[in-house]
Amino acid sequence: MNVQNKESFLNNLADRLNRPRRTQGVARPDWSVYPQYEVFKGASQDELVEVLEKQCEAIHTDFIQTDQMELPIVLEETIRKYDGKSIIVSNDPRNEKYGLNRFYKNLDENVNVHIWDPELGKGNQVIAEQADVGITFSDITLAESATVTLFNNKNNGRSISLLPKTYIAIIPKSTLVPRMTQAANQIHEATLKGETVASYVSFISGPSNSADIEMNLIVGVHGPIKATYILVD
Amino acid sequence: MKVSLFITCLSDMFFTDVGKNTVEILERAGCAVDFPASQTCCGQPAFNSGYLKEAKQSMKQMMRSFRDSEYVVGPSGSCIGMLKEYPKIFAGDKEWEEDARDLANKSYELTQFLVDVLGITDVGSTFKGRVTYHPSCHMTRILGVKDQPRKLLQNVKGVELIELPVAEDCCGFGGTFSVKNPDISREMVKEKSRHVSETGADYLVGGDMGCLMNIGGRMRREGKQVEVIHITEILNTH
Amino acid sequence: MSVKIGEAPYNERITKGIENDFMREAVSSAQGRFRAGRLSQAEELGNWEDWRRLGEEIRTHTIENIDFYLQQLSDAVSNKGGNVYFAETAEEANHYIQNVVKKKNARKVVKAKSMVTEEIGLNKAIKDLGVEVVESDLGEWILQLDEEAPSHIVTPALHKNKEQIRDIFAKKRGYDKSDDPEELAAFARKELRKDFLSADVGITGCNFAIAESGAITLVTNEGNAEMVTTLPDTVITVMGMERIVPTWEEMEVLVSLLTRSAVGQKLTSYITTYGGARLEDEVDGPDDYHLVIVDNGRSKILGTEFQAALHCIRCASCINVCPVYRHVGGHAYNSIYPGPIGAVITPLLDGYDDHKELPYASSLCGACTEACPVKIPLHEMLIRHRQIIVERENKAPMTEKILMNGFAKWSSSPAAYKISTKLARPALIPWIKDEDMIENGPGPLKGWTDVRDFPAPSKKSFRAWFKERESEQHERSK
Repeated sequence: MNVQNKESFLNNLADRLNRPRRTQGVARPDWSVYPQYEVFKGASQDELVEVLEKQCEAIHTDFIQTDQMELPIVLEETIRKYDGKSIIVSNDPRNEKYGLNRFYKNLDENVNVHIWDPELGKGNQVIAEQADVGITFSDITLAESATVTLFNNKNNGRSISLLPKTYIAIIPKSTLVPRMTQAANQIHEATLKGETVASYVSFISGPSNSADIEMNLIVGVHGPIKATYILVD
Repeated sequence: MKVSLFITCLSDMFFTDVGKNTVEILERAGCAVDFPASQTCCGQPAFNSGYLKEAKQSMKQMMRSFRDSEYVVGPSGSCIGMLKEYPKIFAGDKEWEEDARDLANKSYELTQFLVDVLGITDVGSTFKGRVTYHPSCHMTRILGVKDQPRKLLQNVKGVELIELPVAEDCCGFGGTFSVKNPDISREMVKEKSRHVSETGADYLVGGDMGCLMNIGGRMRREGKQVEVIHITEILNTH
Repeated sequence: MSVKIGEAPYNERITKGIENDFMREAVSSAQGRFRAGRLSQAEELGNWEDWRRLGEEIRTHTIENIDFYLQQLSDAVSNKGGNVYFAETAEEANHYIQNVVKKKNARKVVKAKSMVTEEIGLNKAIKDLGVEVVESDLGEWILQLDEEAPSHIVTPALHKNKEQIRDIFAKKRGYDKSDDPEELAAFARKELRKDFLSADVGITGCNFAIAESGAITLVTNEGNAEMVTTLPDTVITVMGMERIVPTWEEMEVLVSLLTRSAVGQKLTSYITTYGGARLEDEVDGPDDYHLVIVDNGRSKILGTEFQAALHCIRCASCINVCPVYRHVGGHAYNSIYPGPIGAVITPLLDGYDDHKELPYASSLCGACTEACPVKIPLHEMLIRHRQIIVERENKAPMTEKILMNGFAKWSSSPAAYKISTKLARPALIPWIKDEDMIENGPGPLKGWTDVRDFPAPSKKSFRAWFKERESEQHERSK
């Protein structure tokens, strides 16, 4: 825990601003406008689902809507579509709630499922890197931009959504909010209370891509090449 | 209504028809037009080149000239835009800041004055031809005059208005920019000329003689047939 | 170490840019797409001006209280087990980072795209240690292989075409496939994956540091920043000191403005937040984390009339609408920050001596100011630079000074002005051709008439006409 040169650096800034150093008592003012809260204001969950589905097209992401009963079937089809022989999933309590632990156990014996295991340390990354499919739940889902928000922690490594060739996000319908505003607000409120939401928060919108070569959109660069969102009622 | 004409130095010396048309348009709209003869230049050539001290001398002359005017109207978005900057430039100058505010508040570009102050969108003119409109940068971005010229043009009998591609792009004039960075300016005006040609219009019309002199000068050099005219010419044809 | 990228003089750079047909076409088409994307996103929101206003208010408040928020950030990062180093200069920053790299006995450093590390020349500093540095953003990687500087702050390899990229890959990495962008990218993915996995240290820049929680936000599409912050055990963030926001809520607003303005997206594929050391039992993320906060000339801008230039969120929308940039390209600016924002901040960071032409490389059309999502008055700042160059730096050409002095006398004296309206035409008579045009003008007119015709002054000025008309009317009314 090491902080160097802070005092002289910050004193210089205060000097440049022609005022004494501010070390406390600064609060965000009320802004004159809050347009971010106007987006999809008052929209119902079903309306947000429509927004999400439409935006998925724009970000080259497959979208499937299902219910808890059908989830294992849809998931299995998607894994097959991605030719998934090796799969890595987060160690999420929701696996049990959605009956996925049993599903993973009963998958075809040619399919190898690894559930993230903190005990295994870096071994998790090695498995993720070789995996065909990574599967996580979305913690907050942003309709406007078709974004899944992942709270990464010891049971839900960032590698799962990042290193495998393809990625599947399971989206509980209740996680759907209009836009990033609501997610930021939630994290901010938690921070104010001194709670740590997660070490890392990732906002992921579809597969990785790049337009660095002649402005051509290339889907699938460093992260997953394909992505599917499964929305569960 | 009493209106003082700010002719702009360019139209005073080079494009006198713009001034004549402006006077006639305003008179037809029921205004009494006077011309304070001590007016000179808005100061923009010096101001935009970084010569603040020099620019201020010219600006003070303008403030003196129009002190007694009720409205100041000019046929140029750019020059009127410059007058609108005076309050910022003279902020804190006790002797001049009030004059600066006063002049800025009562100054209007011609189409802006017709539409916003007089409430006129049809000047009753007739002009036959395919016309494309170049919205000059200072007119739109500094003065915020975007729709007024279009409204007036749309109501002129006989005018077929054709959209200019990427119309909002600068023509490359930029005052002293055209002389200080001639190569870049040349490429910009070449592009504008190409866009004008693409419309197939007979006339390119605009509200700023600086830009029109630039585009017109280039198109003439390229041997193109498009006629480049100030909007007052269309608004004052019957 | 500075933002400057070469030694070629201004005029040479401009000519080189104008003559580069491929680059100009690439830039022009990219600008078209960027512009369309930005405008359609803004239109979809409907209240874009409110968003801009909010963006401006957030940036203004944050920079006015930058010392407070940096302190809060530093405390938060340090609470999460991170190290914080405040670097006044590029040298200090590089030196600190070199020490971290040395202490780790690192052999390979992998980087995510970062303008500030370009600015401080970090890659060279690391290479000087005999350590390999790999840029992982596709565009940056292409440029690194070709040993070239970026020409755009969002799409750095905008000036290269796919054939050139194929040749670079072939020459430097033994690539033997086609120039199909998908194939080129697949190759880069494979090559860079090895680097991500084997790197000892990851280095990123910073889009927004969130003061309240010590989180660094990175905005990417490729996912490379996630790689760089997830896999290596040591991670270093280098941030320009002004890249800070109070809370997650302001981060969100500015990210919304950034992704729309930069690439016309609602959000990019990855908005990555990270910071501090990983917790016990966590696998991903570093166990050793460093945040390097860089001044390198920025504090000189605080408290001046240019302070709002520090509000910039590096979206490049000013670059994407600039007609001058379109015709000369990024390298003509000779700064890693090109375009209108580059013309504003380059002289501030690196002085006027080497960059005095930049503030004039603008027709002052104001497209930049109109596009800026945080409402920086860019073209007004360019005029202010010109004033400083004339008055304080005394770097304006003598002929111009004489001319402007003459202008002041002429325009402040109604009598002198009036005489000129009579004399302008006679003075130019020798050059006036039929049809009242000048095709080969003298002196200062030459630059004009080299490429376009100039009108001859009227035979009778407007004021003369008006006066005559008045007296005629007066006669008639008698």
